[in-house]
Amino acid sequence: MNEDAQWIIMMGFLVSFSFFFLAMVINQSTVVGQTTAESVSEFPKNDIRDTRDAILWSVNNGTDTDWVQRDMSAISLSRRDAVVGFSTFTSIDHEFVYIHFNNGVTSYNENWTIL
Amino acid sequence: MVNDGGQLYTIEGVSAGLIMLLTAYFVLNSTSIYTPGDSHINDMQLEVLGYDALLMMNTPANNTMVKSPLQEIVEQDDGQRFKTMFMNLTNNKTGSTTDRLQFSANYTYRIQTASTQNATASAFLSSSRPYTEGEHAVRVTKWVIVDKQLGSSPVHNRAVLVEVLLWRDA
Repeated sequence: MNEDAQWIIMMGFLVSFSFFFLAMVINQSTVVGQTTAESVSEFPKNDIRDTRDAILWSVNNGTDTDWVQRDMSAISLSRRDAVVGFSTFTSIDHEFVYIHFNNGVTSYNENWTIL
Repeated sequence: MVNDGGQLYTIEGVSAGLIMLLTAYFVLNSTSIYTPGDSHINDMQLEVLGYDALLMMNTPANNTMVKSPLQEIVEQDDGQRFKTMFMNLTNNKTGSTTDRLQFSANYTYRIQTASTQNATASAFLSSSRPYTEGEHAVRVTKWVIVDKQLGSSPVHNRAVLVEVLLWRDA
């Protein structure tokens, strides 16, 4: 067998494979952050936090929590596709706020204690 | 001394193996379809920015102030103040140039009458330019508790939802 061009052929293979892997790296780099961004967008962190803030603000500063409660239930359902409810109740010497949030994917419940 | 008689065969074998591995990789990988052209990342950043801006606007300036700017804006229907404040919060950049974010804002409230309890209505608040349906906008929302007469009901503590469409002009 004639083996004169072995080195040339091997270098040719090496170079072409390196190009191939570099191309693959570039190809994958376009989707960096994709799943992260999707998770951030889909988990209703801001919705829950915002709902919770408004409810607690209303309970601490407001007078008509009844109206606020009905407002938030109706508007959440029509504009945010989420079931939201809260109620306050008093135990022996504490007042509790029960918060409920559910948008079909994520559900959040909390009992907040007002001393 | 090592005999190098089989060099070419070795190279051939290694290459064939690599080609087979690559084929298997492509076959297995072809089931997951990526859409890198999607704008999830930009959308996420816009949403976070818009939510932060609304959160800052709904924070009272200091302890002695009971109402936040956003509460006062909704109570007084002060669209001009909303525009100035929101554009400042979202468009300022380092240096003298500003960003190209545009917005259109309204707020939704519940209508309470004798016949209906759960209907909602929206009122226009402000916009930096008209929304023409062609923009790729994200929607950010914020609860605001206001003392305001909404619809025909008397003045009460009410919860309204401020909704902002936010997009970046090309």
